[in-house]
Amino acid sequence: MKGRLTAYAGYQLRDYFAIRALPTLVASGLAAWALAAARGVTLSDLDPTGGIDARDRIQQTFELVLTSFAFVAGAAAAHGVVARHRARGYDRLVFSRPLSPVRYYTQGFVLAGIGAVILGTVGAEVYAVAVHPVSLPGVAGYVALAWLLVGGLAFLLSIVTAFYLPVLTLVLAADLALDYFAGPLSAAGVGPVAAAIQLALPPAHVLVTLRAPFARGLPIDPGGLAWPAGFGVACIVAAMVLLRRCPFRS
Amino acid sequence: MPTASDAGPAGAGGSVACAVIELSHVSKTFASRSASPARALDDVSFRVGAGEVGGISGPAGAGKSTLLAIAAGQLRPSSGSVRIDGIEPRRFVEREGVAYMPQPLALPGGWRVSDALTRLAVLSGVRPAYTKHRVEAAMRELGLYDDRRLRVRLLKGEARLRLGLAQAIVADHRVIILDEPLEGMGPESLERLRELIVRLRAFDRAILIASRDTAELQRLTDRVTLIDRGRTRRPGTTRRDTPADVEGVFHITLHHGGEHVLAVFPNAISLGRSTYAVRVAGFAPLNRGLRELLDRGALLAAVTPAHAAADATALAVNEVGT
Repeated sequence: MKGRLTAYAGYQLRDYFAIRALPTLVASGLAAWALAAARGVTLSDLDPTGGIDARDRIQQTFELVLTSFAFVAGAAAAHGVVARHRARGYDRLVFSRPLSPVRYYTQGFVLAGIGAVILGTVGAEVYAVAVHPVSLPGVAGYVALAWLLVGGLAFLLSIVTAFYLPVLTLVLAADLALDYFAGPLSAAGVGPVAAAIQLALPPAHVLVTLRAPFARGLPIDPGGLAWPAGFGVACIVAAMVLLRRCPFRS
Repeated sequence: MPTASDAGPAGAGGSVACAVIELSHVSKTFASRSASPARALDDVSFRVGAGEVGGISGPAGAGKSTLLAIAAGQLRPSSGSVRIDGIEPRRFVEREGVAYMPQPLALPGGWRVSDALTRLAVLSGVRPAYTKHRVEAAMRELGLYDDRRLRVRLLKGEARLRLGLAQAIVADHRVIILDEPLEGMGPESLERLRELIVRLRAFDRAILIASRDTAELQRLTDRVTLIDRGRTRRPGTTRRDTPADVEGVFHITLHHGGEHVLAVFPNAISLGRSTYAVRVAGFAPLNRGLRELLDRGALLAAVTPAHAAADATALAVNEVGT
């Protein structure tokens, strides 16, 4: 079985670049543009010859782009791996072959993650050559962490529901919103409740705060990594268990 | 005369020596949030032995596809037991795989025909050295070779059915399950399917076909079980007296003397290049026929069991190629 799936790995990686790479780049570009516009960043602010302030703005904008890319690429890594497969009925055809659905889907998910890391690293390399140096291992690590957290959750949700993308967006947005409004919520006396809810949600806010140290190649606190990485690993393990129990839609 | 399917569940008597697909008192109920649970199958028992071709017939909504999905290990029955080669179907499929043609055929529309078959051959475990040959052979056998560069989404109707069959036979599986392969087939494709079933019939292979076309199914299979609204309306009745007469299909290749084949083996089908598929009731009649062929002056080049022939041809092609 391993041989069959190993032989098929090339197709899965090729599918990532042929089908998902461009939409990932476009979607993350749009997301970054929207975020930058919301912060009032314009193209004229991004002049590399504009001194320290301008370079700092460029660096911050790059980190914004990186965050957008990492979230979108993480979600895209799981997109179509299970839910779309099932919705279109490919699973019945593929799993009449001597294959384990758990291994097939997990391999597809892992290869999409590798594709995302390659895509992110190549993009960062282009940026580093053309605009400003960045830490390539840091970028690769950040995309991998986002794949683990966002992708892991998307992988799990795509096994549970066909509407995994709206649900994923909702829970990520809920975590970010709770983090953003932590001050007012605490002032309103519901801080502990919000914190308890946030513990059950994916720690997207932690991922956001980690972008600067990753992109700048600064030392990362392992304790800060543990929550998002642990959450992602738990989601992937749960997804594999669910797949083992329910390999098909019904 | 009692038939294998009349005999009922595993362990019961019957003339089938080695049952490969066995469903015993299978029921399936689908839960529904909005309506009451729907009972798709109700106490269905069915058996297809090695060397047999079994048919399931019934109107639309009778439960045929559900039955096949259960047999292929893709659905779990609500009650009853299902076994392939004595083990739970999902385990069997993960170990050996089955040639399964679902209805409708779902494949990514952007794949090209040859690419789709190559991918599925790889996933089926066809060895890399044989993949190209197996894919080409399947395309030629099903008349898809000229469409090999077409995107799957451009294939409609009959061509799509043929692709469904091609992906099922691109690897050499012991269990073949075809869901509605006759639906919308024209005379030419039907003839191909008949020849295909003859070629695929083998000692150790069980073939299960579901179709609404009972008459054609009776022609293609050894027995047809009729189901309606999830219940068995007529258990499989054996068309032939014993399963012994379906013991083997062989490919006979002659150096010369092909004109005598039909006289000796009236059911022979020409596969081209002086090769014929013949169905015989065992080694004794095969040897008798071969002796008669030799007596008539024919010169034998090869005799192979039909299901082994594809690999032998692939090997020969590869050896020539290297």
